[in-house]
Amino acid sequence: MLLFPFMVLLLYGILFALMPEKILAALMRSGTILLNMIVPLLLVFVLMVLLNLFLNTAQISRFLGRGAGIRGILLPAVAGIISTGSIYVWYPLLRNVRERGAGDSSIAIFLYNRAVKPFLLPVMVGYFGWVYVAVLTVCTVLGSFVVGYLLDAIPSERSP
Amino acid sequence: MKIAISADGPDSGAKVAQKLGTARYMIIVDMENGDYEAVQNPVASAQRGAGIQIVLLAVDKGAETIVTGYCSPAIADQLRANGIEVLTGIADTVGEVIEQYRKGEWGKFPGEVSALDAKERKLHRSALIYTARSAAKQFINILPILIGVVLLIGLFNTFITKDILTSVFSGNMILDTLRGALFGSILAGNPINSYIIGGELLNYGISLFAVTAFIITWVTVGLVQLPAEITTLGRRFALLRNGISFILSIPIAIITVIIVNLVKRWFV
Repeated sequence: MLLFPFMVLLLYGILFALMPEKILAALMRSGTILLNMIVPLLLVFVLMVLLNLFLNTAQISRFLGRGAGIRGILLPAVAGIISTGSIYVWYPLLRNVRERGAGDSSIAIFLYNRAVKPFLLPVMVGYFGWVYVAVLTVCTVLGSFVVGYLLDAIPSERSP
Repeated sequence: MKIAISADGPDSGAKVAQKLGTARYMIIVDMENGDYEAVQNPVASAQRGAGIQIVLLAVDKGAETIVTGYCSPAIADQLRANGIEVLTGIADTVGEVIEQYRKGEWGKFPGEVSALDAKERKLHRSALIYTARSAAKQFINILPILIGVVLLIGLFNTFITKDILTSVFSGNMILDTLRGALFGSILAGNPINSYIIGGELLNYGISLFAVTAFIITWVTVGLVQLPAEITTLGRRFALLRNGISFILSIPIAIITVIIVNLVKRWFV
């Protein structure tokens, strides 16, 4: 688990010897990203605690498990659309709900629908126009269902 | 009251299975009316998710107690959170366990984890501390990977400039769409940046197909975040999800642009 951050630090070290100004700029950018992560991380932490307290395995499985039906598609889609912050901030929470019965398709649908950002839509409309934004939004949501379906449909190596 | 016993076979002469997750059978016994049901464990040979299936099976069958040889602390926590008591360290046969239970000899069992009932779970202070500690532990575990990802994003965003992006597009619709998807997969950050860069690329004459694929994969595919996704959600899930999302971005981009052009031609 520590190999990846170690490799990144090594890369920084090598590049710093060659072009220190650029690496300092990269560090500044990374620092800004880290600062912006604090609030979403706290939000996700609180959500995780609440989920663990008030939802048990059976309930999570019923809502997000393989047999959850339409709920297992719509709930993660809506959650993905309204979720904020960087995608990696959500990984611990997703692992948690997955360990407690959520299906792979629900997790994938959640992650894909993060591409739909209601608060950023006006900005997008400013660049590309409302027709484009409306069509792309619908196609993205439908695409998320395809990703979710395929993830469940492709058998794992350990499946009998 | 129902008890669930992990077993090596379906009958009462079978030994109690020593590992809950890989038990071949779960014997469900209703201690009030004597009903006996042997349920084959469909995931006995699976490594991942076997424990969680046992939890779901026990909940589904209405068991209040699980009797087994060994149960991992994580699964014991899950069972406990679902109001199920866990008794471990049992090496007898199923029939003997049922008999001991009838005689009220629970005290003889070496390991016992008591269940929290639903009301207690909601109000119990220790439950809050436990869940907060558990959540914090999961965050701390992933923190080095997250910092690595953020450092890598800073590096990419510094070195891959707008000039580099525009220089690789050739004017070939299919290839440019692929390149757009590839750059969107590599770069990461706030989606608003993808709109700004996408808008600039359009101004430079790059096709809307390429820009759309770029915007889609910016969020849906994460090459930089892949180590974090593999660590938390598993290699199979992370590789499949990112691979499918990348491939799908091409048809979604093409369909989106075709529909947009049709709508604009007919209605706007």
